[in-house]
Amino acid sequence: MKRYWRVTCAAIWLVTMSGCSTVQPWQRGDLARAEMALDPDPLLATYRQHVEFSKEAASGGASLGGGGCGCN
Amino acid sequence: MSWYLILALIAPTPLMALAPGDPAPVIEAPLADGDRLSLARLRGQVVYVDFWASWCTPCRQALPALEKLYRQYRDQGFTVLAVNVDTERVAADRMLKRIPVTYPVVFDPEGIWPARYAVKGMPSGYLLDREGTVVLVKSGYRNKDFPQLESNILKALETQP
Repeated sequence: MKRYWRVTCAAIWLVTMSGCSTVQPWQRGDLARAEMALDPDPLLATYRQHVEFSKEAASGGASLGGGGCGCN
Repeated sequence: MSWYLILALIAPTPLMALAPGDPAPVIEAPLADGDRLSLARLRGQVVYVDFWASWCTPCRQALPALEKLYRQYRDQGFTVLAVNVDTERVAADRMLKRIPVTYPVVFDPEGIWPARYAVKGMPSGYLLDREGTVVLVKSGYRNKDFPQLESNILKALETQP
């Protein structure tokens, strides 16, 4: 039983640690690439967010909810 | 015992950063035309090894500053060896087209040499004396660093092997 727990813990630890990686200073260019961004187009993302909170007043946002016209 | 072995294998190996007084690893990498350049070929000169990338903003200030120093002191035995670490060569070429330099530039997209030098930031510079020993380690670059860099180069040029 003790052995079972040790193996399970080791497996969990290994799976968790395999997701960790140190990005070296000279590798940071890859992180700066457009395809690595959460929003590849920040302007379009801002616009979509604006339309979303205008139309879905209950979801809140950076401004007051409106009537759904997307104009505020 | 096997647990310690697993831990030792998985734990990241700490890189030993170069410090003044250390011998510099002998860089060997391809130039733009494909010929390989070795740091050994520059032995006898004071060399500033500059690790740079196109995405690194301070590098855009460092490149023209190093070009100025190179043109000013190359007759006295100073040279720059720029090591580009861009993973995409086209990005480096674009940058060099915008900021042309006359000193040798080698390309290391695999990042072998910055790893050997244990570079801590971008850009990173290593001033080597005529015997290939590190005399100055410089992490980052700002225009106000120019006089300090110049005085260190002059000091290294004055020192006879």
